Amino acid sequence: MVEVSVCVGSSCHMKGSYQVIKTFTELIKANGLEDTVHLKASFCMGRCLSGIAVTVNDQPVENVGFVNAEQVFYEKIFPLAQGETAGA
Amino acid sequence: MELFVDAAYESLNHYGEELCGDKVEFVRQDDSFLAVLADGLGSGVKANILSTLTSKIIATMLSEGATLTEAVETIASTLPVCSERGLAYSTFTIVRVSRQGKVYLAEFDNPSAILYVDNLLEPIQRTEREIGGKTIYTSEFSVKAGDLLMCFSDGVVHAGVGRLLDLGWQYDNIVNYVSENVTPQMSAREITRRLLSAVNTLYMQKPGDDSTVCSFRFKANRPASIMVGPPVNPALDVTAVNKLMYSKGLKVVCGGTTSQIVSKVTGKELTVHLDYDNPAIPPTATLAGIDLVTEGVLTLGKCLEIVKTMTASDEKQLDHFSLNKKDGATRLAKLLLEECTEVHFLVGRALNPAHQNPGMPVSLGLKLNLIKELSAELEKTGKKVTVEYF
Repeated sequence: MVEVSVCVGSSCHMKGSYQVIKTFTELIKANGLEDTVHLKASFCMGRCLSGIAVTVNDQPVENVGFVNAEQVFYEKIFPLAQGETAGA
Repeated sequence: MELFVDAAYESLNHYGEELCGDKVEFVRQDDSFLAVLADGLGSGVKANILSTLTSKIIATMLSEGATLTEAVETIASTLPVCSERGLAYSTFTIVRVSRQGKVYLAEFDNPSAILYVDNLLEPIQRTEREIGGKTIYTSEFSVKAGDLLMCFSDGVVHAGVGRLLDLGWQYDNIVNYVSENVTPQMSAREITRRLLSAVNTLYMQKPGDDSTVCSFRFKANRPASIMVGPPVNPALDVTAVNKLMYSKGLKVVCGGTTSQIVSKVTGKELTVHLDYDNPAIPPTATLAGIDLVTEGVLTLGKCLEIVKTMTASDEKQLDHFSLNKKDGATRLAKLLLEECTEVHFLVGRALNPAHQNPGMPVSLGLKLNLIKELSAELEKTGKKVTVEYF
């Protein structure tokens, strides 16, 4: 299981976490990864100054915004998810 | 069980008058609630002065512990005498309710108050008393949560007189109207507005007399404690959270970091919901033992907006549907306005480093101001609001 958390605290909300969550949800669905990627929301992670705070398997991902959400998904989340499906 | 009095009144002015000749005074004290409805002789400035003096004198004297006799005698010797009629006169209805639900009612020349127990009309036993040459009817009875007491000035009884209705609306018809229209869910404000708008219609929007309706809905006392923001001194985290967790009634946490603190202290897991009911408002979360968990300052700002539209006095139609949305701000507004009877804010004043960035339209000062404004709005609805800082 790949655990993805997106911050929805005040600061990240202002930067557009709604769009990021929307993009991730759509991409998970489009790639049929509902059973491999677990998307969660989280309140403030204390990393308010480096873009929308996102963690993948508890590893922070820097500089996420709604413009590069798709890119982040394919670079950071998709390979892990594929590894899991291949391993299983 | 302790009772809270949800009280509301509204008045229609005599057509063409700027001032109302009826006056209602509410006094909320720790152990009791006092309301005085006074109707001054005539209309306009003179009536306004008479009724204001009467209601203010009675309310002040009774709440400071004077007896009814003393208050009535004071009014009799204080009110200015009308030059046209040679009279100093203002009617009054006094309602005093203790926390335990004991009601003391004193009426002088106003239409008799009506009581609904379990949504059914209940006759009130009255005793006649002579004070300073005035015949005053007093009564004492007990009410419980859900009961409704209403009083009104004679402008309501005379609605439509000489125009739509030869004899006016008449007392019995008003009682029937209320009996047919009132439901157990109706708030004091709602039933007040409903009756008064019927009066206005009967007068064809030109009231021939000042008309006032005053309603009291008795509710079980239900406090709410709301924790907003982390304490400045992290050593106080446990104190603040304990205050919240050991409080009676509803518990609310506003703020991302704050809810994480509560989660850490209580050892319960915080689950943030992914679904947005309104993209403009951050999602809510669940935490065992807490009735509502929301994001902080953005939700509070939106909540204040909702509460303001609900308390605005020019809002003629109470829109209850708009309180049924599921986003954090609406749920908080509904909880504050309808579900609780007193509010205690536990406000932490720690600076959020995230909010120091120039892109963030939020500052600590803004948050504290939001709480202040929200408290003021809630006090307008008669709720007791206390704020404690950490």
